[in-house]
Amino acid sequence: MTDLNKLTLKEAREGLLSKKFTAVELTQSCLDRIKSLDKKLNSFVTVTGEDALKQAQSVDINLPLGGIPIAVKDNYLTKDIRTTASSRVLDNYLAQYDATTIKKLKNAGAIIIGKTNLDAWAHGSSTETSDYGPTLNPWNMEHLPGGSSGGSAAAVAADETIISVGSETAGSIRQPASWCGVVGFKPTYGRVSRYGVIAMKSSTDSPGPICKTVDDAANLLEIMSGSDPFDATSIDEPPWKKPELRQNLKGLKIGLPLSYFPPQTQPEVKEAILGAVETLKKLGAEIIELSDVLDPKYSIAVYTILQRSEVSSNLARFDGIRYGHDRSFFGTEAKRRIMLGTYSLSAGYYDAYYLKAQKVRTLICQDFDNQFKKVDAIIGPVSPTTALKIGASEGQSMFGEIQDMLVEPSSIAGLPGISIPCAFDKIGLPIGLQIMAPQKREDLVYQIAKLFEDNTDYHLERPKL
Amino acid sequence: MSDNLITDAVFQHTAKLSRLEIKPEESYIKDQLAQAAQYVEVLKELNTDNVPPTYQVNHKSNVLREDVVNDSLSQDLALSQAENTTDAYFKTAPTINKNK
Repeated sequence: MTDLNKLTLKEAREGLLSKKFTAVELTQSCLDRIKSLDKKLNSFVTVTGEDALKQAQSVDINLPLGGIPIAVKDNYLTKDIRTTASSRVLDNYLAQYDATTIKKLKNAGAIIIGKTNLDAWAHGSSTETSDYGPTLNPWNMEHLPGGSSGGSAAAVAADETIISVGSETAGSIRQPASWCGVVGFKPTYGRVSRYGVIAMKSSTDSPGPICKTVDDAANLLEIMSGSDPFDATSIDEPPWKKPELRQNLKGLKIGLPLSYFPPQTQPEVKEAILGAVETLKKLGAEIIELSDVLDPKYSIAVYTILQRSEVSSNLARFDGIRYGHDRSFFGTEAKRRIMLGTYSLSAGYYDAYYLKAQKVRTLICQDFDNQFKKVDAIIGPVSPTTALKIGASEGQSMFGEIQDMLVEPSSIAGLPGISIPCAFDKIGLPIGLQIMAPQKREDLVYQIAKLFEDNTDYHLERPKL
Repeated sequence: MSDNLITDAVFQHTAKLSRLEIKPEESYIKDQLAQAAQYVEVLKELNTDNVPPTYQVNHKSNVLREDVVNDSLSQDLALSQAENTTDAYFKTAPTINKNK
């Protein structure tokens, strides 16, 4: 069989179990694709190659992910595979232990084929600030893949892998999934353990799957989720389980916040979301326009302050003494963020910046609580635009914050959300629809997304490469 | 938040607190900090009197466990990624200057 790399998780599992092909053939197919494409695309920082094939030879395919190739964002610690966070500070770093998610993936039989590119330290929404060069968008290589999980999203879109994992702090799963036309599922904060994922903004960091279909993402989330004694903020619940499928969306109220169409919204993005609204209505949902949702501009400011503050604290540990190189290896973006965080936390400025932002965070959480009294779920665009051109982020100190303004509020409140393909713009770049729900209501997110996907064809389109 | 003018002195002090060396060609970071500080002024539009801060969104607190000794990294493994070690220790730059 050819083109095994193009299979979804579901198709690959069926093929392996019915012995149509082997785990080695499946893995080899992904590695071949990477070899032919990745010099240009640059989705991967490290490719495991022979080690992956060796693992595929002896894997038990009856395990939940037995023999399935997976691409892992390079901020998950992986024992014996280097972990760089796309920063030269960690250029030679070999983690001494596996992240909790990596342990779970290995126990489930997944084959790690490589570590994917990201904005250095996950600081950004373009994958352009990686110290290993930008990843390109598989739909149009003059454009950015989004970020920070841009390598994972591009690798899935380009069929270099069957599934992948990314991490989101405020948009880093949903925004690259949107720009690359794949499915990105950001779970409730605490649903997936943060242990062993290099800390960025600890109070919102949420690891999650990026896949080709809603079901694939949900199946992967089942394996990744669950409480973890090594992460005190993980939710004290057993692993998440997919709910029953709904026949339709009758009885569900879905909110559409008018403030999620800021002035810079690309007209095609607005049209796409309004088109999605019609599909959801046909499926039986009642769509309610929300006119009093807090303007996302406040979330940009809250996120900017809190992210920089937590970054300045989290990156203090990189001193070059126990691992990695010293602080002179930090790139400009990291320096800029550490500096603003240190400034906003330092004596004399703490109340005006950090404390004020944490109070406005309360208002953002209360705003969602109020909206969810009126509606069951909320939808909107993931990003005001489709993928921007290479170079768009350069010299823009708040590029990511502005690109991610429509996903920041829900991240700040710790809500689950998903990005699914819902249209293409006139030059063929994908547009993503996001669905958000109250904390721990991934079941609703999944049910709505799955029904939308079952009734549309956008997820079947692949870039011509 | 009203006085967000980032002076050279504040900038240098912040770099020192951050343990970062800012190269001359990176001096534009100072202007970008001022821009960001200016942007977040928008929060002043919202009244937060009597609003408590939210540090943690899933409201867990004081997560404790029994003080049981578990397996941990061996000394060799713990030291394996350090550039400078001496005997069985990490080697650091001196923090006390005996001549002063």
